[in-house]
Amino acid sequence: MLRTESTKINLMRPLGQPALACAGYRWRENYYSHQRRGGYNIGVRIIEDFLARTNVGRCHDFRETADVISKNAFKLYLGVTPTVTNWSPAGDEFSLQLDSNPLAEFVELPDNHTGLSYSSLLCGVLRGALEMVQMAVDVRIVQDTLQGDLQTELRLRFLRRIEESMPAGEE
Amino acid sequence: MAVCVAVITKENYPLYISNIPAANELKFHYTVHTSLDVVEEKLSAVGKTASDLRELYLGLLYPTEDYKVYGYVANTKVKFVIVIDSSNTSFRDNEIRSMFRKLHTAYTDVMCNPFYTPGDPIRSKTFDNVISSMMMQVC
Amino acid sequence: MEREGVRMADEALFEFLHMEVISYIFKSLEKDDSDNGKCTAKLEGMGFRVGQGLVERFTRDIPRFKDELDIMKFVCKDFWAGIFKKQVDNLRTNHQGVYVLQDNRFRLLTQISAGKQYMEHAPKFLAFTCGLVRGALSNLGVNSIVTAEVSLLPACKFQVMMQRA
Repeated sequence: MLRTESTKINLMRPLGQPALACAGYRWRENYYSHQRRGGYNIGVRIIEDFLARTNVGRCHDFRETADVISKNAFKLYLGVTPTVTNWSPAGDEFSLQLDSNPLAEFVELPDNHTGLSYSSLLCGVLRGALEMVQMAVDVRIVQDTLQGDLQTELRLRFLRRIEESMPAGEE
Repeated sequence: MAVCVAVITKENYPLYISNIPAANELKFHYTVHTSLDVVEEKLSAVGKTASDLRELYLGLLYPTEDYKVYGYVANTKVKFVIVIDSSNTSFRDNEIRSMFRKLHTAYTDVMCNPFYTPGDPIRSKTFDNVISSMMMQVC
Repeated sequence: MEREGVRMADEALFEFLHMEVISYIFKSLEKDDSDNGKCTAKLEGMGFRVGQGLVERFTRDIPRFKDELDIMKFVCKDFWAGIFKKQVDNLRTNHQGVYVLQDNRFRLLTQISAGKQYMEHAPKFLAFTCGLVRGALSNLGVNSIVTAEVSLLPACKFQVMMQRA
């Protein structure tokens, strides 16, 4: 990483966000499907980058996966570490709670879009990335600071293990 | 603290004006409007003199009997004006400066909201909160 | 990444997103059967809005610009470094409102493999950035036309023509 001047470092923070935000804005006609599909495609690619950079090995169970998503993936790409919580008794479902959501940091929904689930891109990214490591997972946003909730909460539910031979690719 | 806070575009139309008491609106609009001439004057001096105004904070624009009017112009030429009650003598330059910084930061966040169209009047709860925190601390 | 108490998104994310936005926009083209220029214009427009916002933030802590050249130097150094993690390698001007910014290893082109067969795709990867520069300049009060050309991947040149009122 090239740093030109130390004083400029704090300027780098917003880099990804306006682009993300802008993309979201332009996609709003069919917002969710596009965000999820777009996110999925990013997830499919980002997993390679992630595995190469973190040396994370195969996870033994879903709990370990949850930890890696929170402490490694979110930390690496978004600079935050969501809390892993609300496990289902069967251990196949958990929540990621974000006190602040970097994706939505500057976002205020206009009056005509108050119900918009702005960060659905994240759901797609998680689903795409996990599919590449043979896990079919359902991802939903159940709480959203943009909707007035105190935090943003993503709910991940393990569906099934995908057979290695199954071809995967862009949607 | 402040009795009026205004954000003006580079084309000199207002994006946001807030004042207390609300009844004096016309008077404050007039005060802010008048201050823009002083802002232009100060800006046109940039680059012409050796000790030019490279700082974004322009300082006191002009005092009236009742008020002191301060100005700040961002690199993007958006103008911020803060009006302080003259009876409030405890103010230091540094405090005014930091109010402008706060105002500028809040404006920057508005600009980074994807749903905001640059040039439109500012309608934002977050921004409103920052402004009212600047206007309330007195009295 | 925790620096000076602020969070930062990883820069790889920007590249992934940029790629995805391009592929999304050009896919919607296939369906609509509209022309290529429309997609490029759309990308450029997105860049424009992002440039407007970013420049507001990037210029918040720096002294006022003296003149046009001062602004262009800022675009080549701080602005470029803030987004692409490197400065522009070379800035030239005819002193009549035309500037040429050369980046010998442009970040958004490094994703495409070198080779002639990929050259035709290069413009897609430059449209967003053209808008980015135009949006930044516009918010700084300078109207311009920004175009880009590639001769040898991943090097490229951006030409900025100031539009006098």
